[in-house]
Amino acid sequence: MQEFAQQVVSGIAIGGIFASLALALVLIYNAMGLVNFAQGEMAMLATFLAFALINRGMSYWIAFPLTLVLAFAGGIAIQRIVIKPVERAPVLTLVIVTLGLATLVNGIAGFIFGYVPRSFPSPFPPASLDIFGVFISWRDLGVIGVSGIVLLGVYLLLQRTTIGLTMRAAAHHPDASRLLGVQVSWMLALGWGLASAVGAVSGIMVAPILLLEPNMMQTIIIYAFAAAVLGGIESPLGAVIGGFVVGITVNLAGAYIPGVGGDLQLAVGFAIIIAVLVLRPNGLLGRAATRRV
Amino acid sequence: MRDVRAGYGQRAVLHGVSLEVPEGGIVSILGANGAGKTTTLRAITSGVRWTGDILFGGRSLQRMSTEEVVRLGVAHVPEGRGICTELTVDENLRLGAHLRRDGAEVKKDYDRVFEYFPVLKERRRLSASALSGGEQQMLALARALLMRPKLMLLDEPSLGLAPLVVRSIFNIIRNINETSRVAVLLVEQNARIALDLSTSAYVLEVGRVAVHGDSSELRGEESVRRSYLGY
Repeated sequence: MQEFAQQVVSGIAIGGIFASLALALVLIYNAMGLVNFAQGEMAMLATFLAFALINRGMSYWIAFPLTLVLAFAGGIAIQRIVIKPVERAPVLTLVIVTLGLATLVNGIAGFIFGYVPRSFPSPFPPASLDIFGVFISWRDLGVIGVSGIVLLGVYLLLQRTTIGLTMRAAAHHPDASRLLGVQVSWMLALGWGLASAVGAVSGIMVAPILLLEPNMMQTIIIYAFAAAVLGGIESPLGAVIGGFVVGITVNLAGAYIPGVGGDLQLAVGFAIIIAVLVLRPNGLLGRAATRRV
Repeated sequence: MRDVRAGYGQRAVLHGVSLEVPEGGIVSILGANGAGKTTTLRAITSGVRWTGDILFGGRSLQRMSTEEVVRLGVAHVPEGRGICTELTVDENLRLGAHLRRDGAEVKKDYDRVFEYFPVLKERRRLSASALSGGEQQMLALARALLMRPKLMLLDEPSLGLAPLVVRSIFNIIRNINETSRVAVLLVEQNARIALDLSTSAYVLEVGRVAVHGDSSELRGEESVRRSYLGY
């Protein structure tokens, strides 16, 4: 029982990481009707940036927010330079563009930082906390706390502020929004910036668990896809719930199903994607696609 | 609007339309399907490419984006009403007022809007997709009013609504025009009700102005009524 509880808590921690990246995917899905296949690579590059800053002697708690600001600006720049020229192109073109972007970002990171895995510092002590016989590591708690704050922050921004309202309107109803004076194109760029920053959180949180190298996010993005699909791909709240569900499921499967630990855990992620698409294509919180004819 | 030509791709829809909306006036555009009524409105808010010239308060709208025209004080309620169905009623209203910085005045306008449309106040928290057609039209008008525009462009506000609802909505449009001196350019299939509301009218026929004059005169002229307005 104690071990079970411990597995659930680390599942929640890793789930927070999936949730952040899944939320980034959903933010962009809503803005352009397509997931950004480069989301994980962008998060990886941001993590390297944080790594470089910390290596230069900057304190973790200054480097972290600074990286998020830089990731935000980078996301806007990518939208303006790479995505905007093709935003009216067919979906397949956009798929290829974001796939190309993923390869490009991966290559840039490898070129600058090399492919040798590096250990990334965690600001949380390695000790564990004993709560009624359940040992919970400070690292897990820290990850849960940071992702919780970030996810709450995004929620408040989108739901409670005027800029969040105009971002949602621009993503779902671009034509109607223009007629209300919303600068739709800039709102979509802001969406990219926000997604990029939220994704960067997942990279920085996962790097101490894995090791930092250019391919670090390639398994994480699969879990994030699973989380986003499970949540209904359009729903930010669904993506967050999906992230935690996937995190806990993957962790428990690794611990209790013989043979699933290690590399086969990724198969659990795929199994979730396939199961959702077959059994409940609209996900937990998605809406059935209806069109008035 | 002077000699405006517009179209979609290769297909020209407007072949030189000129019209004028006086400050604080109500003007209607009538005509059959495909005459270019909607395109005329879309040209003003840059929803379609056009040539010629469109002036708004003395300023040329040439090469302006939709957002820029709207920010000058043009509220366009498009065909299909342009309701953001993913958002709540209240969020739709807030979008109408989102550019304004005069908080106290916005609050007054909210009160006025809820006075015109009490049903929207009741349903503030609901998703806009839960509203009936008439209520959505009210929401679109309310939102346009909250933009505090100088000119409202209304594209077939009567479409798909029951006659009683149409009458009450047109009464409110008249009321809005009288109390806040908003000019209205109204596109309508329902010529009779449009002519009752407006002071002058233009009848479009395949992208050209076929007839124009005072609404009361057009209403009285048997020949115009028979050949263009069909009642």
